[in-house]
Amino acid sequence: MNHLLLLLPLLMPLYGAIFSLFFWRNVELQKVFALQSQVATLVSCILLFMAVEDKGILTTQVGNWPAPYGISLVADMFSCIILLAGSVTGFAVFMFSLQGLDFPRQAYGYYPLMLFLQLGVSGACLAGDLFNMFVWFEVLLICCFVLITLGGSRPQLEGSIKYVTINFLASSFLLAGIGIMYGLVGTLNLAEMALLVRILEGHESLITMAGMFFLVALGVKAAVFPLFFWLPASYHTPPIAISAFLAGLVTKVGVYALVRLFTLIFVLDTELTQLLLSVIAGLTMFIGVVGAAAQTDFRKILSFHIVSQIGYMIMGLAFFTPYAIAGLIFFMVHNILVKTNLFLISGVVARHYNSFALKDLGGVYLKQPFLALLFAISAFSLAGIPPLSGFWGKYMLAKAGLELKAYALVGVSLLVSLLTLFSMTKIWNEVFWKKKPDETEVALLSPITNRMLHMPVVMLVLFILFISLYAEPLVHLAYRAAIQLLDSDIYIRAVLYQ
Amino acid sequence: MLVAILAGLIVSLSSPALYKMLGKWLFVPMALLPFTLFIYFCAFLPSVLQGHTFTSEYRWVPSLYINLHFYLDGLSIFFALLITAIGTLVMVYAGGYLTGHPLLGRFYLYLSFFMMSMLGLVLSGNIFCMFIFWELTSISSYMLIGFGHENAASRYAALQALLVTGMGGLALMAGLILIGNAGNSYSLSTLLTRQELIQSDALYLPALLLILLAAFTKSAQFPFHFWLPNAMAAPTPVSAFLHSATMVKAGIYLLARFNPIMGGTPEWQLPLLIAGSISAVAGAWLALQQTDLKAILAYSTISALGILVLMIGIGTDKALAAMLAFLLLHALNKCTLFLIAGSIDHATGTRDVKLLQGLGKSMRPIAIAASLVSLSYAGVFPFFGFISKELLYEATLEAESNAPVSFIIVFVSKVASVVIAFVLGYRLFWRTSTAPTVVRHPCGRKLYMPPLVLVFLSLLFGLLPSQLATPLLNSASGAVLSRGIQVDLHLLPKFSMALLNTIFTFIVGYLAYAQHNRLLNVAPRLLPLYNTGPESWYQQAITGLLKGSVKLTSMIQSGYLRSYIAAIVLVHVGLVILSLWGEGPALNISTRLDQLLDVKVYELVLLVLMVGSVFFLFRTRSRLTSIATMGIIGFSVALLYLLFGAPDVSATQFLIETLTVVLFVLVLHRLPPFRFLSHRYRRYKYIILSALFGGMMTYVLLLVKQFPLQSELKAYYGEHGYMLGRGRNLVNVIIVDFRALDTLGEITVLAVTALGIMALLRLRAEKGGKL
Amino acid sequence: MVGILFGAGLYLILHRHFFKLILGLMFFSLATNLFIFVVGQLTRGGTAIIEEGSEEAVEPFSDPVPQSLLLTAIVIGFGILAFAIVLIRRVYQVLHTNDMDNLNETDKIEQPIYPHE
Repeated sequence: MNHLLLLLPLLMPLYGAIFSLFFWRNVELQKVFALQSQVATLVSCILLFMAVEDKGILTTQVGNWPAPYGISLVADMFSCIILLAGSVTGFAVFMFSLQGLDFPRQAYGYYPLMLFLQLGVSGACLAGDLFNMFVWFEVLLICCFVLITLGGSRPQLEGSIKYVTINFLASSFLLAGIGIMYGLVGTLNLAEMALLVRILEGHESLITMAGMFFLVALGVKAAVFPLFFWLPASYHTPPIAISAFLAGLVTKVGVYALVRLFTLIFVLDTELTQLLLSVIAGLTMFIGVVGAAAQTDFRKILSFHIVSQIGYMIMGLAFFTPYAIAGLIFFMVHNILVKTNLFLISGVVARHYNSFALKDLGGVYLKQPFLALLFAISAFSLAGIPPLSGFWGKYMLAKAGLELKAYALVGVSLLVSLLTLFSMTKIWNEVFWKKKPDETEVALLSPITNRMLHMPVVMLVLFILFISLYAEPLVHLAYRAAIQLLDSDIYIRAVLYQ
Repeated sequence: MLVAILAGLIVSLSSPALYKMLGKWLFVPMALLPFTLFIYFCAFLPSVLQGHTFTSEYRWVPSLYINLHFYLDGLSIFFALLITAIGTLVMVYAGGYLTGHPLLGRFYLYLSFFMMSMLGLVLSGNIFCMFIFWELTSISSYMLIGFGHENAASRYAALQALLVTGMGGLALMAGLILIGNAGNSYSLSTLLTRQELIQSDALYLPALLLILLAAFTKSAQFPFHFWLPNAMAAPTPVSAFLHSATMVKAGIYLLARFNPIMGGTPEWQLPLLIAGSISAVAGAWLALQQTDLKAILAYSTISALGILVLMIGIGTDKALAAMLAFLLLHALNKCTLFLIAGSIDHATGTRDVKLLQGLGKSMRPIAIAASLVSLSYAGVFPFFGFISKELLYEATLEAESNAPVSFIIVFVSKVASVVIAFVLGYRLFWRTSTAPTVVRHPCGRKLYMPPLVLVFLSLLFGLLPSQLATPLLNSASGAVLSRGIQVDLHLLPKFSMALLNTIFTFIVGYLAYAQHNRLLNVAPRLLPLYNTGPESWYQQAITGLLKGSVKLTSMIQSGYLRSYIAAIVLVHVGLVILSLWGEGPALNISTRLDQLLDVKVYELVLLVLMVGSVFFLFRTRSRLTSIATMGIIGFSVALLYLLFGAPDVSATQFLIETLTVVLFVLVLHRLPPFRFLSHRYRRYKYIILSALFGGMMTYVLLLVKQFPLQSELKAYYGEHGYMLGRGRNLVNVIIVDFRALDTLGEITVLAVTALGIMALLRLRAEKGGKL
Repeated sequence: MVGILFGAGLYLILHRHFFKLILGLMFFSLATNLFIFVVGQLTRGGTAIIEEGSEEAVEPFSDPVPQSLLLTAIVIGFGILAFAIVLIRRVYQVLHTNDMDNLNETDKIEQPIYPHE
């Protein structure tokens, strides 16, 4: 059976992007198209999610070629949850960019680029084919390249050259890995690959070796230690509307692919991979948070925290129990929302004070108590203060770890959580509580601009509060998604024998 | 109960809005909130005293077994009444203390939010529900301590309190998970019946240590006590509330709560005895050396908390009853003392004991309250302090082990209380003085009524012990021991060792007071010693963290692209080697060599050509030459494709190669000429790394090739390509038909590239355009 | 050969010069493509084109799958390379340097803010 629904999250941004390109000169019209396709994407993600929740894994064979020969699109709970979170942030960032982005950048293809980027994200999340996943990753990547350099200011260019080079290498590794996998099992379809890998005798270590190619390649994209260098070098350089979306979503797509491949295909030599992942997770968390402690710039602190939180997610993968994977999924959703939101808040603050440096900021607590409240909710959520969303993810991961007797890693994760709190309070102290330095000028924004800037932030905070205070549905969904992920038979059956 | 707590939270959140409406009358609804709750809990009191417990459970996150589960027994109602009663008075007081403060609405928000979290904490019947409220108290106290947020000292103190208690909070989380796993339940009432199961668990000791860490950080036990005196940066009503009945008592509550589950073992008691003793003595000693009224009270709070921990450590029936009695007394009296200190500060603008004198006339109601509460605090008949102190002495004397040591510790702490009582109750107000301190802002009713009420309460508890205190304490200590006990409190002393000791305490206390001034003069000289205490460890930890993180980060994130890439490649090579180490199938070299010999001449020529150009490329200094060489290599590769049956790929490669070279020349022709920028040494390093990487890739390739491929896909496309795809060129069929989606992506990439290049070349954002 | 290309590519990337960086990237993508090509079966002669008149391909014919992947990969690689080339040019125009080591502004760390009393 073919489900058109599966194509919608791809088609909607694609149509939007193409229409926007048609009207290159008319930015207002582009906005309209972008808005429409954002809404359409969101709706189609919701529809897809509901369908998957109802019927289990859905697949579509593009062009109606039978499973291993054509390209399959597969939607399971995990991909739907990530897609949904992604389209929510996409919508929020779009709202923000209406006022939060300068006009020249808007005029030079920002809207179609964002939509292409979302196309890449949707594609990577839905691809049921290894090479197809690679292609979507490339789409996503080139969009990131362009978005990061969009505007061409000096720090942007500096950051982007590192970003481009390192990610280019990673793509090469990914491609080589795909080549190896094809050389070993002779297929590209993920489900069939998972099946063939099981019956491939005597090749375990070769498969593991191929897994290493993917680990490195996707590790670079997910920004784990010691492969994360490009992220803190570049993520704080573009305008907030861009870096918020990249920070919130793009690295998580790397994590998504890692989780997908390491639950479906590279599950043979679990001892080695889990050890590796544990080490990587611990180091990533720690180095990231320490890096954040050293920073004195709003966005740089947040950038390093991305790395640290990726470590948390990898930790969930390393534990490899349903509980841990569920924690991972919850944590991913939480992180996508919260991280995007924190970036947006830094953007709102910067719109008022024209700076991201902590030493130039201050006094927001008095001037904009509402913004302070929004920040406090997001920041404490990031630090895992209960009952905010970060706590639930942290708790699930810690519990899974303690049940597995992985005390060292859990210990590190708790320490990291304390240091995260330290960084967040640093921002709070410096930006919100501290008295405003005299020399800082405050830009006067019109009430409408101000409201438009606040609106997406409020929207995301509401989402955060929802998954915080009413965590049960998401926890439950994450758990179901985790069961689906860990039992690869379900996936194989859904794709190959329908 | 959920309704009560939710209503409270809503009221607290609406307080800024209420402030706009009500102005200075805001204190009325805010004080009514705890008062209503107080009445509400009083309604439960009779049945709880008879031994009933109330539970109410609301499903919240059942998948994680974390539910809003409330549990009301003797212990929780004891705390709940304390919190709400003192809360009411503090709310009223705060209305007077902070009149006209622009952020009063927010202040009440934090304060009542804090109170509700504290209430939630003591009422929780699910240990994770408790944990959530525990963390909320940390956060709301952070906001309260940092209330004077433009003052750096406030921010410092708030951060310190948050980090120390936050560390405890994380320990608590881990500990509770361990307990939950061991006892297989998160429900307090279930866990209470599974003491043996938990204590026999392999992880009993770690869990216990984690719980203790949490309690010690929260209750400011040595060596985590330092945050408490600093937290005095908060407005006085906050200090009064946090350090009497709430925040710091949360740790005590935790210990009392888990005493029946974890307690009764030496592992549990020993740390409590040690930490309690050190804190009690150190707190007393430090308190006597302070001149700031609030600091005196803060350190004496540490001392009192030490006594409480010590009593739990002793763990006998008598000790626990004494603990609860002292807790009640301390909550009542310490709160009063803080409020008085606040009033004095408010009225005179200083809190320095050396400067304040002769206030008896100008602040009469406060003076009366201060004197009476000092009597109670020092333990004078017929106040409740007297009963409590008798109990403490009795408990230490009856302790199973180390009785003399614990006796001395209680004695020291009590002597300090007597000295403080003299200072506060006598010296500030009644000692004859030539120049009484000027009172600038006379204290209104809101400032002196609450202390007076509290004094009255401690007198009442003292006069009617068997009616008021005994049942309450018995039901509470019943919960702490999970069995009913009977300890009768009497006001009229029996002639005993304890009474003798009380008298002895007074004598020593008076003597100590006489020497107090001398001690105050010596104190500054001892400062260097204190500067090496736990607080300096904290500071060193923070500074170390910051310095270390800068060092580490600048090492890792050096900014040099080549080191990044070197690291990534090294990791990759390492991982691949790791995965193949040992069990990996070895490369069968002999067959490989055979294959290697089976090379046609023109292939060899191509290879030689490519290798040659690569080396030429390394040597050349001219850009144009290198581009040309690059082109040669590209074309050679294309030829190679052609030779191995891939004409399409080859054609594409030709095209792309040409395009790249053209683009290259067009775009980059203006770059300055080459210079060899690398150092020789570094170059060798990179050559080795590159060779390693190249070698690894070759090895991998050969290894994979060793296993002949049976591709299902190839066969399928070979068979059906024409029939289904209507094309003779299979590659083309695959691209445009079977894998059309890939091609869509490919086109997208090209389109975006075009966009990006255009933007790069045309769009030049304003200088330093950041936003 | 693939090994040499990979090694050479990496070596060039590790250089500080922009120009070499680009050459290195080109090498790298060439090497990867060749890698994919070789990892599938190498077949001399036989192309993956079905003869006129027959409906099925006759052995030996080369595996069409890696070839089609390659086509896609080559084009994508070109796109990214083209972007990188233009990017380098812009970087040079804006920053007036061709030394990679001069590009570490964005990773600089300022003195941390110490909490103090």
